[in-house]
Amino acid sequence: MTVLQTLAEGWSLRRVWWYTATARTRARFARTVIGSFWLGFSNLLSIAVLAAVYGTVFKVQDFGHYVVYLGLGLVIWNALAAAISTAPNLFEHNALHLHNTNLHPVFYTLEEWAFQLQTFAQSFALVLLALSFFQVNLVANLLLVGWLPLINLLLLIYWLPLVVCIAGARYRDLYQLVPIVLQLVFLLSPILYFQKNLGALAWTAQLNPLYQVLGALRECLIEGSSPTGRDLTLFMANLAGIALSIWMLNRQRRQLPFLV
Amino acid sequence: MVALPVLRLQDVQLQIPVFTNETRSLKTALLRSVTGGQLRRSAGGAVVTALHHVSCTIREGERVALIGHNGAGKSTFLKLVAGIYMPTAGSIERRIRVFPMLHKSFITSPELSGSQAIKAHYLMLHADLQGFEAFQREVIDFSGLGDFIHLPVKTYSQGMAARLLFAMLTATSHDCLAIDEGFGAGDLSFVEQAQQRLESFIDSAGTLILASHSEALLQQFCQRGLVFDQGTIVFDGPLDRALAHYHQIR
Repeated sequence: MTVLQTLAEGWSLRRVWWYTATARTRARFARTVIGSFWLGFSNLLSIAVLAAVYGTVFKVQDFGHYVVYLGLGLVIWNALAAAISTAPNLFEHNALHLHNTNLHPVFYTLEEWAFQLQTFAQSFALVLLALSFFQVNLVANLLLVGWLPLINLLLLIYWLPLVVCIAGARYRDLYQLVPIVLQLVFLLSPILYFQKNLGALAWTAQLNPLYQVLGALRECLIEGSSPTGRDLTLFMANLAGIALSIWMLNRQRRQLPFLV
Repeated sequence: MVALPVLRLQDVQLQIPVFTNETRSLKTALLRSVTGGQLRRSAGGAVVTALHHVSCTIREGERVALIGHNGAGKSTFLKLVAGIYMPTAGSIERRIRVFPMLHKSFITSPELSGSQAIKAHYLMLHADLQGFEAFQREVIDFSGLGDFIHLPVKTYSQGMAARLLFAMLTATSHDCLAIDEGFGAGDLSFVEQAQQRLESFIDSAGTLILASHSEALLQQFCQRGLVFDQGTIVFDGPLDRALAHYHQIR
């Protein structure tokens, strides 16, 4: 099966994986008073606490700007981290189906992506509205110039976890390794602090693909700058990442039922 | 007029890799890469030959019984023709979509309700919701779940879940059905009703591949028998002769 055929198969099943992901999102907050608003509230709470603490530690001059900077960084990072950290066990969770149904495994990856997407959309919308209190043009920037960096984030949330997922099916160590790596990448990425604070180590942020996507979207939202060559390069890299990850999935498909 | 072949297997082999901790550790993978693959031979892991030299053609409308003792290769053959497993060598030509009925579990999370599970299943088969209302009504009526259909599947008893799944899976006919005898239905009060439905469901399938140890069941639905022994087809012919062959080699 070619990459295009697999993508076509995934597309033909779009109503199913979108529906099951939506039902999962609803079920997650069933019987709670404020439902999926919890997603946004938990992010807002983290942003408030971290901004208060690190704003004081770093002695920031413009607190309003720092809250927006940290808030956007944190909500985007949380989406990336959630998608990657659940990836190593995805096929393991669907082992019974992989052994007994002839559904292409791309279905499970797309369902998980849709679930992560819906989770992100709900928390991002609430955080963006709350941060508009500090910077009014955030929503306008998103609609006018933020779409390409946003697409880049959404594409990255699909293919990078898929690569981790494929590797995780074969190498069980990854389940232990992924949270450690994510924590280190978080600390090394200018999310709680500004890139200039890294001093001589500022180059590490340039080599960090997660930060490149995160930083591009945050910069676009805060500064309202039009998409640049960097965004187009990231877009092309994302398309290559999708092709690579689907190719890897097709290659692994033969062995997948025996790995889980 | 001879019916068209819908499945053709030519010299198919299936080797199942046995993954051990040794072959699945990052440490071993790294060692292999720095030793130029020299460790691969000693730690590459074992493989089990589940099927070998399997060749056969199944024509449209045929009703084929898979016969053999446990571990002979019947279930593996079903998974292979259904596209769950892919052959290691040889070729499979499929001109029909094979629907496997091998296990009793929902495709959706147990957190979701019975009605959500029905909807997901319907979308999976039809890609849209045209005709869904009638389908849902029929499934709910047959399963007898009533208002429980709106509760999460995880709250169902084993019997309730089995009834719903059975009602859902047997509500649509398929061009080709690959069915394992282990597939049954719910609690005792449901069995008689389920048996009738299962029979009419199997009857409605265009092409049937049925794996079973029950000769009565095979004789009820099949005309042709494939006898499996140690991962290969040792007899292919009319069912009565296939059963006789099976008794001979037992």
